[in-house]
Amino acid sequence: MTLRRGLLILALLTPGLGVILLMIGSVFYVAVMQSVGFYNLTGEDSFSLEHWRKVLDSKQFGRALSYSAYIAVVASIGSVAIAYPIAIWLRRPFRGSLVISALLKAPLFVPGLVASFLFLNVIAYHGIVNQLLMWIGITNAPIRLQNDRGAWGVVFLQLWKNMPFALLLLTGAVQSISDEVLDAARDLGAGGFDRFRKVIAPLTVQAMQASLIIIFIGAAGDFAFQVTAGPTNVQSMAQYMVFLKDSFGRWNQAAAVGLSLMVLALFGSLMLAFTARILSKSGKW
Amino acid sequence: MTALRSTDVSKVFEDGFTALSDINLSVEPGEFVTLLGPSGCGKTTLLKIFAGFYAPTTGRIELNGNDVTNAPPEKRDTAMCFQSYALFPHLSVAENIEFGPKQNRIDRTSRTGRVNELLRQVDLEQHRDKLPNKLSGGQQQRVALARALAIRPSVVLFDEPLSNLDAKLREQVRREIRGLQREFGFTAIYVTHDQAEALAMSDRVVVMRGGRVDQIGAPEEVYERPETAFVADFIGSANLLPFRRVDDHSVETALGRLTVADQPDSSARFLCWRPEDAEFGVTQGENLITANLSERAYQGSYTELHIPLPDAPDQRLHLPGVAAGIGDRITFRLSPERIRFVRGELE
Repeated sequence: MTLRRGLLILALLTPGLGVILLMIGSVFYVAVMQSVGFYNLTGEDSFSLEHWRKVLDSKQFGRALSYSAYIAVVASIGSVAIAYPIAIWLRRPFRGSLVISALLKAPLFVPGLVASFLFLNVIAYHGIVNQLLMWIGITNAPIRLQNDRGAWGVVFLQLWKNMPFALLLLTGAVQSISDEVLDAARDLGAGGFDRFRKVIAPLTVQAMQASLIIIFIGAAGDFAFQVTAGPTNVQSMAQYMVFLKDSFGRWNQAAAVGLSLMVLALFGSLMLAFTARILSKSGKW
Repeated sequence: MTALRSTDVSKVFEDGFTALSDINLSVEPGEFVTLLGPSGCGKTTLLKIFAGFYAPTTGRIELNGNDVTNAPPEKRDTAMCFQSYALFPHLSVAENIEFGPKQNRIDRTSRTGRVNELLRQVDLEQHRDKLPNKLSGGQQQRVALARALAIRPSVVLFDEPLSNLDAKLREQVRREIRGLQREFGFTAIYVTHDQAEALAMSDRVVVMRGGRVDQIGAPEEVYERPETAFVADFIGSANLLPFRRVDDHSVETALGRLTVADQPDSSARFLCWRPEDAEFGVTQGENLITANLSERAYQGSYTELHIPLPDAPDQRLHLPGVAAGIGDRITFRLSPERIRFVRGELE
């Protein structure tokens, strides 16, 4: 490629890619600089790793990091694990399959905060779950289900919200596998699970990776589900970041938490994608 | 023991379409049997019932004496070669071939031995590490065949395996398939709509129409002695004429009165003769016919000539060489021994 041609391509890409890079680049630049003592709201700007030290020494940070990583891993793997059998089931159209598919994807259109609120209404003291438990006779009085310490509520919401997205990606990928290829595997002795791990998974690994990465990043940075339905004894990274900024005005430490969240999202999603690739290639799972 | 037997097999799909009715077929070990028929005649449905992909609505399937009517494909001693090859696109040639033995838990040493031997037999040793999309159609078909043979099935099912290949390659792969079948001695059930392919490859041909078997026989038998108008017309080209019986040795047709060797039975509806049965240069004897030519089509080794008839289809003749033109008046003879009688209706 000549220099002239290279410059031409760069110029043509600039309106689209340039804006994106500028936006991301400027945000990232400010966050990095802020975390090392610049762009202060008040006081002098000076280089310092003190903000990073305070954040990394904080137990709250460690708990938030492991909690967010846990939620992100469970949400991404869980969503993909639930979506795969449904995608295979919906692979060939049957009477009602279109309606089922549309219903399963409906959560994509419900904003996260609204979903959390509706979920709370269902499991609250006055919600239908408690009413049902009392009506059946399992409990005598309403029990506390919301903001559970095990974060089951958040996990449920994450799966409810993200599974349709994984389904959307995986359905297309699974549908692209020809019937004859699956029949050939069956004909050569592969049962249902073997057909999945030796044929379907390797041939849909890119959709699987895309699902894992996007869901992981979204779930790691969750704020709405956590604030509404999450446990009160631990904060997610996003919640902790906002907490530092809002409660104490510690913008620099909040920036350090934000950058840590970005690293978690990048590292975690890449690890998941890499693991998915290795497993699907080896066929040993 | 019969390698494969179907007894009163029928298939009605959920939408009510009857794909097969009362199919009875026995295939001997090592036999090469072809299911031949036009699109929609049920031949692939029958093959998929043999493979286990479809369950028959009624009837029974036996493999080597065992009832496998309700057994899934993975539990049957069959292997299928698909029309689209159906190779695993993410696996190399060698891995594709190894898939079946690995699935059947054959030990690594035996597996490797089988793969190497099959690669040599299908002449793909130098392509063993390539992905299927790097191979030509003929090579992919050979991989599919090697993959099927790797599990050492007693019956190999071929679903129009050559239909995606060009004419020259088709003939080459056809010979390879037949050669491997003789070498390995497996039983083959081969589906095709190409009558030339069926005649060239098969020990027996099963001619199907509308979900039923019209005739079963050796290639020479179904060609030389078709039992129905459909078989006569579908296999090769045939001239079919309505007739009226005059006496035990002659019939009245649109070509005139013809002397016949066979006697038509009560179910016979048409008189049948092949275009190549016309004898030219004969001026004496019975069944001498003189007619004007209405059409002429040069076919290389022969010229196809058409004779128009009132109230009957054009009759076709195959004349060696090119010495006739439209409007020419020609004389030919039909030997009484070459005239057959067939039952059934014209399509």
